[in-house]
Amino acid sequence: MAASIGSFSTFSKWTCISQLLGRNYPIGYTCIVRHCSANAKENKKPASPTPDEVREWKKINWRAYATGRVRLQVPEDPDFPVMLIPGHSVLPQVLEKREQAKRPPMKLTQPRYRRMLPEQDWTDVWPTAHTFKWSVVPFPVRQGFVKPTESALPREKYGNAELMKIPNFLHLTPQHVQKHCAAIKKFCTPWPKALEDDTVCDKHFPLRVITRDYVADGPTMRDPRARFVTIQLKLSSLKLDEHAKDKFLKLVGDRYNKETDVLTLEADRCPVRKQNYEYTLYLLTALYHESWKQEPWEADQTEVDMIKFEWPLTTAKAKVLDTIIKIKQAQQEKGSKVPKILEDLPDTSSPDLIEKTEIIQEYKEVLSELYEHGEDVHQLEKYKNTTKKLLIGL
Amino acid sequence: MFVLNNLHNTALQYSNTCMICQEKEETDILYKGLDLELKSHDPRVLDSYRKFVGEAAKELDVSIYHVSTPSRIIKRTSLLKSVHVYKKHFVQYESRTHNKLIQIKNITGSTADTFLEYIQRNLPEGVMMKVTKCRLEKIPEHIKPPTS
Repeated sequence: MAASIGSFSTFSKWTCISQLLGRNYPIGYTCIVRHCSANAKENKKPASPTPDEVREWKKINWRAYATGRVRLQVPEDPDFPVMLIPGHSVLPQVLEKREQAKRPPMKLTQPRYRRMLPEQDWTDVWPTAHTFKWSVVPFPVRQGFVKPTESALPREKYGNAELMKIPNFLHLTPQHVQKHCAAIKKFCTPWPKALEDDTVCDKHFPLRVITRDYVADGPTMRDPRARFVTIQLKLSSLKLDEHAKDKFLKLVGDRYNKETDVLTLEADRCPVRKQNYEYTLYLLTALYHESWKQEPWEADQTEVDMIKFEWPLTTAKAKVLDTIIKIKQAQQEKGSKVPKILEDLPDTSSPDLIEKTEIIQEYKEVLSELYEHGEDVHQLEKYKNTTKKLLIGL
Repeated sequence: MFVLNNLHNTALQYSNTCMICQEKEETDILYKGLDLELKSHDPRVLDSYRKFVGEAAKELDVSIYHVSTPSRIIKRTSLLKSVHVYKKHFVQYESRTHNKLIQIKNITGSTADTFLEYIQRNLPEGVMMKVTKCRLEKIPEHIKPPTS
């Protein structure tokens, strides 16, 4: 395409086109400066352009000219030498080349899913995670909201933004997983067969260290909860004598579960997981060795300090025996009526023999259950009946 | 500068030798169990991810012994529709968090690292995972009855 200017004689009147165009001519535009040799000789000031001439110049698409799409037809005339400003004016040769360059005609092809073969490898088509591409996914899929009033299907996959929003698993098909796992399987080790059994496992590795890792979307990958460390241990796996166990249980308090025999220690006081882990081990060590120590003040323990019910140490034993002996003595002195059960009691002089009798043994068991399992209606009823039987023979 | 360089070199050498020593001495960790807790706002994404984890576990010989879907957590809030007037007009918002629990039994340290790295790298957008590891250990040797 070329734009031509009708009369070139009008050029002779001005030195600079930019002057001619004034404000209408944007900054940065390429312009050609022409000199009129006659005017230069006469040293006359160029006259201002007529309105017709201005209109003619404004018709030219100067941006197109600057980029080389438009060529001005400049007649070769010795009186009108064209001054080319380096870097601003477009050389005629370049213009020729530009005009020749043509874009090849665009070929329209079918979308990829139409050109797919059934025996293709999907892992080559969709190797990594990518947003949903309608042109590649070969199956029909629809997604989107349809108003209940409309009897239409959701939109199909072509240009469907709803399908792009939801995470897809097209890069994690079974074929993908097989390929990936075949590559990383060499880093895996099998579980030792000797440790398949849980009891064997517990026997050789009694300590369990529980830690947590957190993975989530967020500005930071750190999670303050990841520092928590819990260790669990069956108390039976520690070597403790009777005194040490008693003291150990008193020291750990409710960290020990009586029903499962499991001790749980948790630490979160240090900022790093490793420190917390070391702290729990330190705690376990300190507890263990402290419980083996026998302090002088431990001899002052009374019945209420006992964790376990121990009949020989209870005041109940002494009281019961004392009461029974008194009843027996009263019976002998006054000859009054005594409970039937007490009639068969052995001689009062030996408390050991009395203790072995059936009624005392029963009382002992009921009392022991009451201590071990706590008070409830059933236990209290049993205790009441035994006591009544013991004292008044009902 | 020369001294620094030298120091740096020796430090590097030292760390290299240490690494070699560690590699030789390192024994595999034993995990009694791994609990993978998954949370997401979209239950279908969780389902697809669970299938993917199952596939990966099958390929890597990891034994998944239990998969469950704990009940979803719903948070509801009522907000005033307007900025400060029209107190009768409220909007109700609710956010649902769906859960999935995958439990794995008897896995060695290297398998766990490989498996977890693989499935965590492929965790979809908007899904969070909490991994509870239960490591098996021996009781430290210094925990024994005092001799004296």
